[in-house]
Amino acid sequence: MIFKVVNCDSFIIYFGDLIDDKIALDIKKAYLGIKKLNLEGVIQIIPSYTSIFISFDIFEYDFETLKTLIEQNINLELDEIFEEKIVEIDVYYGTEVGFDLEYLSSKTTLSIEEIIEIHSNKLYDVYAIGFLPGFAYLAKVDEKIVFPRLSTPRKIVPKGSVAIADFQTAIYPQQSPGGWNIIGKTAFELFDKKLETLSPLNVGDKVKFNPISKEEFLAKGGVL
Amino acid sequence: MSLEVINNPLFVTIQDRGRFGYAHIGVTNSGVMDEYAYFWANKLLKNSLDTNILEIAFSNVIFKANENTQISITGADCEFFINDEKKELWQSYNIKKNDIIKIGKILSGNRVYLAVFGGFNIKKEFGSNSVTIKENLGGLDGNKLKKGDILPFNSSNFNYTMKVKEEFIPKYEDNLTLRVLFSYQENYFLDEEKKKFLTSTYLVTNDFNRMAAKLSGEAIKCEINGIISEAIAFGSIQIPSDGQPIVLLKDRQTIGGYPKIGVVLGIDCFKLSQAKANTKIRFEEISYKEAVEEEKRFYTFFS
Repeated sequence: MIFKVVNCDSFIIYFGDLIDDKIALDIKKAYLGIKKLNLEGVIQIIPSYTSIFISFDIFEYDFETLKTLIEQNINLELDEIFEEKIVEIDVYYGTEVGFDLEYLSSKTTLSIEEIIEIHSNKLYDVYAIGFLPGFAYLAKVDEKIVFPRLSTPRKIVPKGSVAIADFQTAIYPQQSPGGWNIIGKTAFELFDKKLETLSPLNVGDKVKFNPISKEEFLAKGGVL
Repeated sequence: MSLEVINNPLFVTIQDRGRFGYAHIGVTNSGVMDEYAYFWANKLLKNSLDTNILEIAFSNVIFKANENTQISITGADCEFFINDEKKELWQSYNIKKNDIIKIGKILSGNRVYLAVFGGFNIKKEFGSNSVTIKENLGGLDGNKLKKGDILPFNSSNFNYTMKVKEEFIPKYEDNLTLRVLFSYQENYFLDEEKKKFLTSTYLVTNDFNRMAAKLSGEAIKCEINGIISEAIAFGSIQIPSDGQPIVLLKDRQTIGGYPKIGVVLGIDCFKLSQAKANTKIRFEEISYKEAVEEEKRFYTFFS
């Protein structure tokens, strides 16, 4: 854990400098551990791929005190066994909602069915959440379906669109501009103001996509 | 018992200190752009300092009071009228039922703050009334105010008003110095680039909203193209590939992958929020210790 001051009221802890499972696990361990300390005066704890950002009340703490507190209480050498949370998300991978399926297939030797199969076969880790409320960055996709972002982003990507950009995949929690390759759509709510937890996904969770038919998608409230 | 919006204003949002504790799922902090003017507006009414308020950007806004109350107005210098009578800013005023409150042209600064006694009675969303339009959160309906909107408050009667002492009323000038903490990512920038950054003058561009202020001037070179996305602090100075600094403000994205040369002191970001396009910006380095002292002094003054 490398601590670096960001601002008067915030610092960041780095766990490495590349995106990988081992670092993600350390971050999950530290993130849950810091949350468990329940430190009054810690305002935000924001995990990402290689770091955890912490902001605090400057009248309660200074950087050194908080750093020491965290170092004394977080032990990355101990193996903690987590109850794995796997969130299953049903996706309709039709070309009328997966706008880029045909193009991606034409760019590779893969058929549309193979792209769907490869995408839905893997268990993904939630590495970070950001960009929009509930927008979870999932990785890593199989290298056969690593596609760069569109050169010109779309002005409108519909809510629920399932997409790929480089080694990552994600779901647009609301309508938004976006430059990811769209391969399907889900009726699953990623950010629901009515729910206490708001977001069903958290950094450290795992996600599995299940292909469903158009009929099932529509029956679940999906919109074409 | 309410304030009614009479015209369709360009950009008026309900704000408070912001929404904290949800950034880990991508919800931005939001909140008033200028806490200095915000705190004074609440102080003038003896409101608790985190009371919600109207943040008014751009001219020409008309409200009608449907009951007696007391209001205060601070922030950008503007033409301000109660029943067509011109009034001063940085004061509180007693308002009678059917009074018309009008904000005309903004003369200097960017954002006017209008508070009512006790604040508006609006249900908070995730701990805050602050509107973030892109997230459709806060305010009456997650959006800016429009004609016909009703802002409820508890009516009250007063026999006094208050005024901020002249020495505390800011002048929004054409030159602004922002104090910067070179911190966690300064190693991505060579010393000569940091020196260039501190000795150049930048201009505030029109690319300036609640999310960020884009500046233009001497391009700053970064040794790397990008970083792995991580959380972004208020006041962070991103250097994108064109080298033109962007200061990230209240509605910034929660995570991002541009390298940052430093962080503008929070209390200086409030001044930046009032800077018009073409304001000349200079950056000045501040030590961590001094920065903490300055921040503490600001918040102690208002507490």
